Amino acid sequence: MGETGKEEYKIQSFDSETQKLLKTALKDPGNVDLEKVANIIVDQSLKDCVFSKEAGRICYTIIQAESKQVGQSIFRRSLLNRLQQEYKDREDLRARSLQAWICYVTFICNIFDYLRVNNMPMMALVNPVYDCLFRLAQPDSLRKEEEVDCLVLQLHRIGEQLEKMNSQRMDELFSLLRDGFLLQEGLSSLSQLLLLEIIEFRAADWKMTDAAQKYYYSEVTD
Amino acid sequence: MSFRHRSPHGGNNSSPQEPPPRWSHGRKRGADGKRRKQNESDSSVFDENKYRPSDNRLDSFTTPKGPGPLSRCSDWGTAVEEDEMRTSVNKEIARYRRRLLINEFTRERKSSSGSSDSKESTVTVELETDEVVLMRRQKQINYGKNTIAYDRYIKEVPRCHRIPGVHPRTPNKFKKYSRRSWDQQIKLWKVALHSWDPPTEEGCELQEITPVDLGEMETESVGSNSTESQTSCQDNDDTCSGTPTKVRHVDYQAQGEFNLEACLSEPLKDFDTVS
Repeated sequence: MGETGKEEYKIQSFDSETQKLLKTALKDPGNVDLEKVANIIVDQSLKDCVFSKEAGRICYTIIQAESKQVGQSIFRRSLLNRLQQEYKDREDLRARSLQAWICYVTFICNIFDYLRVNNMPMMALVNPVYDCLFRLAQPDSLRKEEEVDCLVLQLHRIGEQLEKMNSQRMDELFSLLRDGFLLQEGLSSLSQLLLLEIIEFRAADWKMTDAAQKYYYSEVTD
Repeated sequence: MSFRHRSPHGGNNSSPQEPPPRWSHGRKRGADGKRRKQNESDSSVFDENKYRPSDNRLDSFTTPKGPGPLSRCSDWGTAVEEDEMRTSVNKEIARYRRRLLINEFTRERKSSSGSSDSKESTVTVELETDEVVLMRRQKQINYGKNTIAYDRYIKEVPRCHRIPGVHPRTPNKFKKYSRRSWDQQIKLWKVALHSWDPPTEEGCELQEITPVDLGEMETESVGSNSTESQTSCQDNDDTCSGTPTKVRHVDYQAQGEFNLEACLSEPLKDFDTVS
């Protein structure tokens, strides 16, 4: 794996020894401590938001490689269980470090996006992902731009899929978002803009209309 | 792959209550999925024929808008693995049903060419469709296949060369059987597979096992049969020219794929002897 591999999996932020370990995990998973690899990946994803945005990819590749080489799923199991641990302590995580919490949500949503089971998203993650998004829609989180930004980004990426898995919860979530947009005090104008955009996005069946594109994403010319 | 030698006394740490050697040894992987080291004893395997609490899937519920029953399993790793097994089993049963239908259709066409109106015995076999049951059965089958003995068996005896009554056949999880009947079939099948356990240093412990209606299992003669035919017969090839259709045998392929064609050619009677 040359530079393109590094770029693709965004592993530049790891030290060289860890990079080597990851590369081995991708090529020869049977000869690597996959539980350790899973922990390394989760740890890093809590620190590095750039990494956590696309970490699902490297995880997917390792899972496929392990399945093909040894017919096992130790990596996946370790990854998910670690993810679950962090999920259980997410309130503490958020209290400790807002940035780590945001990274976590980004990561779990990316995992949900990438890792499939017989071409279906992982059922076990649906409610936990919703729980995280609901948390981001709480008043104290809405007052933080970074959390609103995270929320909106995740909905752009996986909202449609998530809705298919459980539309009722999506309805409830958007109820909160509408309320937040209308009634929440202390909302920055950027946050308001982000919320309005996502509400419109969903209303347009998770698609970007030309009008919305123009309004939200084009340069304003005087 | 190196063979792990069986040792009758459970390796270096012999526990006071030793499980019978044949159940724990010869297993490539422990219950957590990790590859087991040589001579590692695994006391949890002892329970594999009992209904372990963690395996009790009766605690299930259906969420109103959910896609199906969820087991009350709080561990994501296990939940996803179950998911995977469930969707695989569902795909298998869909395929099996389709093939049964096609088979029925082709049989009807053949018989109707002679007589006009007779509904020739289109045996409508009732299938096992309960997900909980199917998954439990699949797990039991996986235990049996997750052994060195099974690996050796399928390498030695390609499916098309199996002789009924001599070579073990994986029980068909889609057929209706009582719980007792099924568990017995699994037990007999696994006992039969032990003939392919790797040889121990102290001679073969296996001969102690009471043979159960299996006839003579002459691994040597089977071995020589397969060596000469290995070149001509591929593992995945279920249309071996030398084998008449009716003695072709049903079994799952090593990778877990379901050999429908072979399954459909088996006689539709109750499975009362291990073959």
